[in-house]
Amino acid sequence: MMTNMDCDRLVDYLNGTLSADEIQQFEQHLKTCTECQEMIEVTGELPYLADPVEPPADMKVRILSNVFEEIPEQNNPPAALKPTMSPIPLHKKKSKANIWKPLIAAVLLVSLLGNGYAFQQLSDQDDALETAIKSFELQPNETFSGTATAALIEEEGLLNLVVQADQLAELDASQVYQVWLIKDGQPIPAGAFSPNPNGEGASYYQLEENTEEWDTIAITLEPETGNETPEGEIVLSSEI
Amino acid sequence: MEKSTDTSLYLRVSKQDKAALEQLYDRYEKILFSFLYKMLEDRGLAEEALQEVFIKIWRGKGVYDESKGKFTSWLFRMAQNTAIDLIRKRKKPSVPIEEAAQMVSNDKPVDQQMEWSEKQEQIQTAVQHLSAEQQKMINLFYFKGHTHEAIAEMCDIPLGTVKSRIRLALKKLKTSLHGMQERGAYDD
Repeated sequence: MMTNMDCDRLVDYLNGTLSADEIQQFEQHLKTCTECQEMIEVTGELPYLADPVEPPADMKVRILSNVFEEIPEQNNPPAALKPTMSPIPLHKKKSKANIWKPLIAAVLLVSLLGNGYAFQQLSDQDDALETAIKSFELQPNETFSGTATAALIEEEGLLNLVVQADQLAELDASQVYQVWLIKDGQPIPAGAFSPNPNGEGASYYQLEENTEEWDTIAITLEPETGNETPEGEIVLSSEI
Repeated sequence: MEKSTDTSLYLRVSKQDKAALEQLYDRYEKILFSFLYKMLEDRGLAEEALQEVFIKIWRGKGVYDESKGKFTSWLFRMAQNTAIDLIRKRKKPSVPIEEAAQMVSNDKPVDQQMEWSEKQEQIQTAVQHLSAEQQKMINLFYFKGHTHEAIAEMCDIPLGTVKSRIRLALKKLKTSLHGMQERGAYDD
């Protein structure tokens, strides 16, 4: 039976903003709603608006060999689609404030469980050996109200990326703000944090790559810690 | 020999028939690559997205059900969703509003298959029946992968208005296309 409420979800369905449950519900509705069916069929014509672009001659071989190499049971993204750069190991820094201890214990546990990354909170910076090289104001997306700054800091000849954010809303237990360094659309994780009760959070990440390599820094709100590729919306970002 | 239908190829693919996947690939490589290029504006990303689409098909991650519509609608929707994921992950700067309505290129493409050319002409005509505002909505929503929230913000209109404009635009497209197809049938 068609209801307006179900039909209203068509646009969200096409825009990929429904949850798995909502998709299932909408597809149930779709079975009986001719109008929604027809409108979806129309979107199947829109790609023909594209002007023809000649694919690279060797693309077929590359793609099919990657497709057939995939193990069907594997849930990870295909090798060719993973970030081209290796994840950077994090060197942990000594904690300076006790309020972070429970959180650090939690994130280190997550790390030890196998995600390969550890997260570090930085509450203050008073190290005389630190020299700020460059800092950026991150711009919030349309709906996000928090603010953040990132700074590249040289410390004893090593480069560190420090991110400090405030006015952050409280998160669900499993959620985390994840920092990413991006080059040509390829992100690597570069620290993560959760807000304290005052809505402030910070992360500290040691870089082993040349910073010229990166064009963008972004922070996403991830549904869980330890994601190697972003799943959540970008909430703050800046060009580097 | 009769040309295999998309559905019969798809069924063979679901039984891990590599030759069937290759046939589907050959059939849709160019339109998918062109479509993904239009969305992503980057050949490398378009290839990445195309590969992901075929991996999804091969692994059976997306399941096509003939009762839910045409194979191409399903295939293109999967491609579009894959591109949207890439767009949202990289947070590409928003397309300037004044360019957003340019869905239809004025250049007449020279090299393309007959079927594509016919379909392009039909859909272009249907799109030109939309108001500039509706064209802008469809372009931002469909090709640029913006969320409704982002479109509402960019165009400074309420969220509900964005959704209803997109819906109305799709409805109008549907009516125009059906009208053309029916007239085509009478002409035959």
